[in-house]
This record gives sequence, C-alpha cells and structure tokens, in this order.
Amino acid sequence: MIELRFHRAVYAGEAVDAAVKQFARFGAFELAEDSSHWVVRVTARKPERERALAGELGNLALGLTDERRRAARLA
Amino acid sequence: MSTPAFPESLAGADVVAGSVHLLVQRELYPLDAIFAAAFTFINDCWVVIDVADEARHKVVLTPKAGAQDAETLQRWIGGFANELLSCAYRHRLAKDNRVTVEAVTLQALAGAMGPPTLDELEDFDFSNEAFEDPLGIAQSWEEKYAKKPKPEAKDDAKDDAKDEPTSEKDEDAP
Repeated sequence: MIELRFHRAVYAGEAVDAAVKQFARFGAFELAEDSSHWVVRVTARKPERERALAGELGNLALGLTDERRRAARLA
Repeated sequence: MSTPAFPESLAGADVVAGSVHLLVQRELYPLDAIFAAAFTFINDCWVVIDVADEARHKVVLTPKAGAQDAETLQRWIGGFANELLSCAYRHRLAKDNRVTVEAVTLQALAGAMGPPTLDELEDFDFSNEAFEDPLGIAQSWEEKYAKKPKPEAKDDAKDDAKDEPTSEKDEDAP
C-alpha cells in the first residue's frame, strides 16, 4: 500500500476525488483527510503497478487542480 | 541525501525510492509557475507539489523509468530548476504586459463592432486634439515652411545697418 498526501493549499479536493474515480478500476483506493492534507491510500496487485498507479494519480490530480484554478481565474 | 550540485537546503535525492525533491521559495516562484514547470515533466516523471513550510513549496519528482543513480536524479532536478525559472519569468512578463494586451484586444474588438452610426457621430466630440505634436511631424508643408513676416525690431536694425558704412571701401568711395 502506498499513501499519497496532497496538501490542501495546493490540490483541490474535487480534483483528487475526480482523479481517484478515473483510476478506480485499476486498484483499490482509500480516501481520508487530515487538517492539512487529502490522503489517498493506493493498493494494487503488484508493487510496480501500485507505484505507477500512485504516480499517475498524482499527475492527474495535479492536472485537474490546475484546470480548476484556471477556470476559477477566468470566471 | 543531498545532490552534489545543490545545497541540502534546496534539494535532495532519495536513490532508494528513485525520487528527488526541490525546495522553492514562494516569494520568488508563484504556484502558477510551479504548475507550469511541473507540466513539462509529467510525461517523464511523477510530480507531487507539497508545502514544506510557510515560505517554501516542495516539488518531488520521481522518474517513471525506475531506479536511477544520484547523478541522473541530479540532472532531473537541474532541468526542473531551469524550467521553473523560465516559467516564473514568463509568468512575470505576462503579468506586466497584461494591461497592454487587454488594451490591444479591446481596440481590436471595438474595430470589429463596425462603423459608428450617425447618432454616435453626432454625439462624438471632435474638438479634442488627436495627439500632441511637439516636433511638428503632423504639420503640412505649407504650415511648416510658409514665409513668416519678419519681426519689426529686426527690420529696424537692418535699416540702420544699411545707412552706416559697412567697410573702408564705402568710406573711400567717391
């Protein structure tokens, strides 16, 4: 299991949720949160797959967050 | 472990995990610039942006290729640092030139709205000068080179000069 921590000041919660939904069929995800971070625990069958899944989830969350930031700026 | 080319306070590499991190000052590098730099690396790396402390962001790069030595990881973070600098500079330029871009866009849109109606022309104030012309560039040839009447004071002085002999030749002349 890999634990990813996305800081609330950087990542949008909706973006993290959307990214998790996007990859839901590739592994198991557990969502949690603390005072400063959105926490996602990623589990997959193989360690390499788990690593790749966690990494791609982070990249997608980053992209979706930026998309939301731009949309909010233009609105 | 710190990378050889970067001080420990700025960057570090985790060879076992195959990742490298860079600490960036918020004051110097806005979050938009960090996002922009991160996007140029997401094809080759997994990127996570975190908050290190009140003044700094922490960017973690994990190359997708897998385990890498410290030297390769150092090249990744060096490349990211350069890209980040470039993005921050472009961000600043865009911010500085925003007013100009908006003005030009507004003029283009206003031009695309078509010619003014007769009512709009009637209300338009034509009395204002279009622009100041201290060098006289917009003057016509006639305005610029027309012969001007000579001032009277100069005329009088010239008349006096004509009456007085100007050289010894004049005095000696019969």
